[in-house]
Formats: sequence, C-alpha cells, structure tokens
Amino acid sequence: MSNKHNGGCHPYIPELREQLRCGKIDRREFLGTATRLGVSAAAAYAMAGSVFAPGAAFAAETPRKGGNLRVSMNVKEMTDPATYDWSEKGNLARHMTEPLVRINKDNVAEGYLAESWNASEDLKTWTFKLRKGVKWSNGDDFGADDVVSNFKRWLDPATGSSNQGRFSAMTEKVDTGKKDKDGKPVMSTVGTEGAVEKIDDNTVRFHLNRADLSLPESMGDYPALIVHRRFDDEGGDLSKNPVGTGPFALKEYTVGEKAVLARRNDASWWGGDVYLDKITYIDHGDDPSAQLAAFASGQIDANFRTNIEQVDVMKNIPDLVNYEAVTAQCGVARMKITEAPFDNKNLRKAIQACIDQEKILRIVYLGRGAPGEDHHVAPVHPEYFKLPRIKQDYDLAKKYLADAGHAGGIKIRIDCVANPTWEQNACKALAEMLKPAGIDLAINIMPGGTYWDRWLTTPFGMTSWTHRPLGVQVLNLAYRSGVSWNETSYANPEFDALLDEAGTLLDANGRRKLMEKIEMVLQDDAIMHQSSWRSIFTTAHKRVRGIYCQVAEEHHYNKVWLAG
Amino acid sequence: MLFFVIRRFGNMALIMVLVSLAVFLLLELTPGSVATKVLGPYSSEEQRRLWLEAHGYMEPLWTRYGSWLVNFVQGEFGQSIRFKVPVSDVLWPRLWNTTILGFWTFAIMIPVSLTLGVLAGMREGGLLDRAISQISVITTSIPEFASAVLFSSIFVFGLKWLPGTSTMSDGFDPLQLLLPVMVLVVYDFGYVTRMTRASMAEVMTTPYIRTAVLKGLPYRRVILRHALRNALIAPFTIIMLQINWLLSGVIVVEFAFAYKGFGALLLEAALNQDIYVIEACAMVAVFVAAATQTLADIGYTYLNPRIRFK
Repeated sequence: MSNKHNGGCHPYIPELREQLRCGKIDRREFLGTATRLGVSAAAAYAMAGSVFAPGAAFAAETPRKGGNLRVSMNVKEMTDPATYDWSEKGNLARHMTEPLVRINKDNVAEGYLAESWNASEDLKTWTFKLRKGVKWSNGDDFGADDVVSNFKRWLDPATGSSNQGRFSAMTEKVDTGKKDKDGKPVMSTVGTEGAVEKIDDNTVRFHLNRADLSLPESMGDYPALIVHRRFDDEGGDLSKNPVGTGPFALKEYTVGEKAVLARRNDASWWGGDVYLDKITYIDHGDDPSAQLAAFASGQIDANFRTNIEQVDVMKNIPDLVNYEAVTAQCGVARMKITEAPFDNKNLRKAIQACIDQEKILRIVYLGRGAPGEDHHVAPVHPEYFKLPRIKQDYDLAKKYLADAGHAGGIKIRIDCVANPTWEQNACKALAEMLKPAGIDLAINIMPGGTYWDRWLTTPFGMTSWTHRPLGVQVLNLAYRSGVSWNETSYANPEFDALLDEAGTLLDANGRRKLMEKIEMVLQDDAIMHQSSWRSIFTTAHKRVRGIYCQVAEEHHYNKVWLAG
Repeated sequence: MLFFVIRRFGNMALIMVLVSLAVFLLLELTPGSVATKVLGPYSSEEQRRLWLEAHGYMEPLWTRYGSWLVNFVQGEFGQSIRFKVPVSDVLWPRLWNTTILGFWTFAIMIPVSLTLGVLAGMREGGLLDRAISQISVITTSIPEFASAVLFSSIFVFGLKWLPGTSTMSDGFDPLQLLLPVMVLVVYDFGYVTRMTRASMAEVMTTPYIRTAVLKGLPYRRVILRHALRNALIAPFTIIMLQINWLLSGVIVVEFAFAYKGFGALLLEAALNQDIYVIEACAMVAVFVAAATQTLADIGYTYLNPRIRFK
C-alpha cells in the first residue's frame, strides 16, 4: 500500500510520533526514521518539537556575506562523481553538483534535490518528488530525466561506479553469452529493466527487487552526486565541464594543488542565501604537521580532518575550534574464515578472548569514541542493541588455542595501512595483547594503495570502515553471503535470513530486537575484532560560523559564513 | 671530446631504457591493481575487468611496454592514474617548481660554502677553520626532517615571522620559499664547505704556493690568483653532484612544507603506485644524473688542463 492512501504520509508516521512521545525512541531515531519515510527534514524537526534546527546555534547572529573560506584538503581528481572513492573528491564536487538526499550532522537523511519521498509498505517501491525550480548552471531545468540518466550510468558495469553495489536492489545478473577459460558462462551485473521510472518531470519511482530500507541514505553517499543528463555526451569530465545545480562554480582547479569554487551570480540558488564568495581548497599533502603550520601562520581557516594525535595540539593554537562527530567509523581486524588458520573458529575465539576493547580505545584513540563489541553495529545506529562485551580472559584464550590445535602457540600476520597511524597502532596494541596467550602477531604495514589491492583477499587485515547511517547497511555490505565486499567470506544462512527480516522492519524498536540476535551471531562467530568506534574531528578558526563535523566527513558549506 | 659526449649520452639512453624496463616490470606485473587504483577499492571484479579491457591492459606486457616506450620518446608519458590527466601536465610544472627551489638553494649555498671553505682552508687549524668546521659538521649532521621541524617551531610557531607552508596557492610568494631554502642550504652547505676547505688546505701546502709566498707576493694575490683556481676543481665536481642529491633531497623538504615540486610528486606517485608518473620521474632523475655527470666531466677538463678525454 502506498502512503498516498494515507494523506501523503507513510502509515507508520503516527505510530512513530507516539513512540517518541512515550520515550520509546529518542529524537535522533525519530528524525532518522521519519525522514527515511519521506517526511521532510524541516517537518521532522518540527514534529520532534526540536528547537535545534540545523544551523540554529548561530541563529542569533546575522550571517555576513563575503569572504574566502580556505580549507586544507587533498585536491584529488574529480572527473566523474560516479566513480569517486574518497570523501575529498565528493567535497570538491558537492558545492557544484548536489545529491538527491543529504545526510545531515544528526546522521539524518534530509531531502536535497529530492524534496520528499515515500515508500510502499513492503519497501520495494519508492517514489521521489524532485525539487521544482532547480536550474543547472548551463540554464537547463533540473528534472526526472537527469535522475533517470544518472541511475542508468550508475547501474551500467562499464561506468565502474560503486553505486552499482549501493543500489543493488535495482540490479540483476545476466548471461553475457561469453565463456570464461573454464567454459563457464560469464555473467554481468546490470540494471533491472524498468527499475527506474520517470512518472513526470518532477517524479521518479524506483522499483526494487527486494526491500531496501536504506534507499534514501544510499542516495546521500558521496558517489551519488547528480550530474547533468548530458554529462557523458559533453565529455564526462566534471573538472573540464563543471555543470551543476549547486551555488558554487569551479573557477580554478589544479589537481594535487588547489581548487577554487566561486559563488554563482548568474541565478539564485534553490536553497536561498549563500554567504561565502569563494571556497579555496589547498592541498598540503599527507603530512599532518604541514596543516598545523598552515593554521598557525593563518594560511587556512579550516581543514578536512584533524588526526586524533592533533586534537589536543590544535587546542593550543589560539582561536581554533575543534568539532567532533560521533560516528560509526571503525577499524575492523577481520579474519578470512576460508583461509587457514582462520577457518578454525576456536583460533578466532582465542584471539577474541585476548582483547581488552577499552584499553585499545584508550591507547590507540585516546579514549575518544566508544568500545566495540565485535559485531560492527554502532551505538549511533538507530537499531543498535547493546551486547555485553567479550572480556579479556587469557585462561579461556589458551583453552581455545589448545582446542584449535595450537597449544604451543601460533605465529600469524596482519596486514594494515601505514596511514592513518591509529590503524597500525591498533595492530601493535593487538599484538601486545595476543602475546601472553602465545599468539605471535607480526604486523605487515604497507602503503594504503597496496593494502586496498588485497583488502578482500588477505587472510588477516585491519580494514577501516566508514560511517553509514544504518547498521543494516553495513551488515548487508560486509557480511551477507556472497556480496562483493564480504572480506571475511562469511556465509551464514541464519544470519542472512535475520538480516533479510531486519531490512523490512521500519520500527526501530522491532528491528532492535532482531539486531540483538544478529549481533550475537556475529560476536559468537568471532569473524572480526572491532575494538572501538571512533569519533572524528575537524578544526576551524573561530571566525568560521555554521561549520560542523559531518559523520561521513562531508563538507556542507552552502550556509557557512565568515564573521568579521 | 665530441666522441666522449656522444658516448656519454649513448650510455645515458641505455641506462634510461634499462631503468624504465625495470620500473615497468615491477609495477605493471600486477595489472589488477591498476584498475583498483582507478576505480577504487570498492569496485567489483567485473567493473575492473571491463576497465582493463577498455584501456589495453589485457595486451601482452611487451606490447604494452613497447607502445609506452614509443610514446615516451614522442613526449607522451601516459596518463596519471591518480590525477587522471596526462603525466606531462603534472610533471613539468612540478619540475619547474623544484628548479626554482633548487636555483635559490644553490644561489645561496654555493657562494656561502665556497667562501667559508676557502676561509677555513686558508689557515688550516686556525680559529676560523675550527669554528667553520664545527658548524659545518653540526649542520650536516641534522637531517632535513629535523631541521624542518626546528625552523618551523622557531619561525612559524614561535616568532610568527614566516608562513608555515609553501603551497603558493595565491601565486608565487618569496616568503614561502624561505623555509624550504633555509633547510636545504643549512643541510648541504656544510658538506660543500668541508670539501672546499680540504681542497684549499691541500693547495695551500703545495710548493708553488710556498714559492709565491716566499717570493713576497701579497697574501691576497696568492690566494686569488694562484690558490683559488686549483682549489675549486674538487668542489666543482661536488657541486655538480649536489644537483643529483637535490632531486632526492627535496622529497623530505617538499613534503614537510607542502611545496608542490618534483620530490613531492615522486613521493605521492610511489605511495599510490601511479605507474606512469613514477616512470616519468625515474626518467627525469636518470637524465639529470647522467647529464650533470657529463657536464661535470666536461667542466673538469677546462678547470684542470692536465686532464684530456680521448
């Protein structure tokens, strides 16, 4: 049943309000679920009775127009948003090309180029209403054709976009007619015919092969920035043909050095006033101390990321303010359970029993975050269920190790990246904790590029996972049987069935009950050690107003201004 | 002489081919990783395969190397994986930036170190010699990464006199060049000074200098007319070798001050396995090494008439 039979509002909304009123769910949970069901962010905030609308902290101050916001960030290539694989690339493009949905600082999906959306009760049909009156910088009107064209590109395997996985509920496998060297048919993943339907110029309907609770959140991820419908025909390079709907236009761009975005004056932006004249991204390379020196000598106003080691240092520089976001970002020491010796559950349990999560958080991340519970669902996820953590117990670890046939100890190796340093520090702490049980852990530190070549195949690796708004999103991506990012090769029908069921439950409380079982299954199978959830930080000069640290390190500068 | 120069450049071409082959083999033997670099770690197997097919990576290694070599000779260095632009678009501006940095480093370092070296060598064991030698040893012992931090803490965080980074994001700013040049000069001048001092001291003990002094020539004339030319032969070679050193020495300095030069480019390319950028950088480094060596040898014949190349 579509929600148009319910006065344009999803039938679950009244119940959701009641749950909020009774205190069964918190404000963040209400905002997340309500917006997911198509309530606009403004309406959701109003329903929640919140006085804290986004940007309200500076509401008393009149924003000042003008100025150049100088931000330290790697200026990477920005050819095609569909193939972006770093947040920095998304940040360069986001003030020109915009997403349908934006994840705001409260981890809530809010309408952006899509004004609102609604879902059928089985969560297989989603209808998105697009914002009217939005203009491309080339003068064209933005509309459904643009959205359909973007989805067509994303779901085409030749584009090479990670959005194909993100919107896998709109794809299917087809036989290419070719045979591989073993004579087996070569299959290809393509977009399902008719999955994306243009209803009218401002309405698009998505027909999913299976229920997908997180469709709006997926549209808020950085590779889902919407480019013009003729993007490919006009060269397919955003840096050379920067056509967008956003309030800024690309004025200068030298990859690896700097990018300058200037406020568009040719037409008013659909989102109202924009205060900054310019945003200048300056690439200071990968040395965090260069960023610090740039702050100290007044060469920048804000940065992309403040490493954990520098949070306290930044406080010592006058006029700088650190911004924190509590996230679901984490490092996962995951084991490939199809590879020896990690195919032995007792060995995995032995490793698990050696770990003191709180200690690792304290040593590696200076306690800024929350200890993990080895199941990759975070306290900030609306469906999180708090499980008791596995306590450090060396007697138990030795027993598991003996049961695994390694009573005399074992030598193993973990791969990890050199930067950011907290990842290798986590591995070092892990190695120290494993020693007393007789497990000798060697650490293979490598450049990021090398690790990402083998992250899916290495027997034991420390993989950094970014924030995703919903717990089920992460589990679907990383632990469902056979999915492409399943780095542990975990295949558990019981887990998959529970995840299927969770994906159909809008009720966060109901989903949480199911998550208890899901989390327990993962924790018990000990396929990973996920010792902590990390907060992330950015720093800005105090004159920069309206800035915040977004959970996925996205820059939202359209309403930022510089105080005099 | 002409034959010598031709032979030298022939050797250089051969070295460049061998180095390019070695780098190519090392980096290109894993074509899968190239697609991962371009499409990102989250791309699917099928997406990577399609990309490799579309960009000719399924061709045999020798075919790919051959076409790369032919293109390279014609000035097409390939496409940077990381930047997604032709390598030459990135390489030449970065090399020019390093040339500017190198020029100012040498413009300060050479006169300073030659003057100090000559002053120290003139009276071996004297107070001035001991003072200069001690300073030279100390400055040369401090690696660039340490002096970069030290100078930053003094001039950026302490005195607040100088900008902390050298990105030149608002156009060329001589002030931003000061710290990187300072670090390079302080690290390198001691070495050239010591070499000049040793050479000068050796010349000062030769019979012809003794004769000139005993003949009653003014000391100033003895130094400027008789000692200096011979004393500068060894430092000339050392200085030419410093150009080579600079190409690798700037890596640390450019990284520390976010200066967008050749060293930073090479480092970033290596960390990201940006194959064609590494190839081009390696070729530039080999060319500079061989060319400066050849120039040093030619220059040597003019400074030292006793040496002739056959």
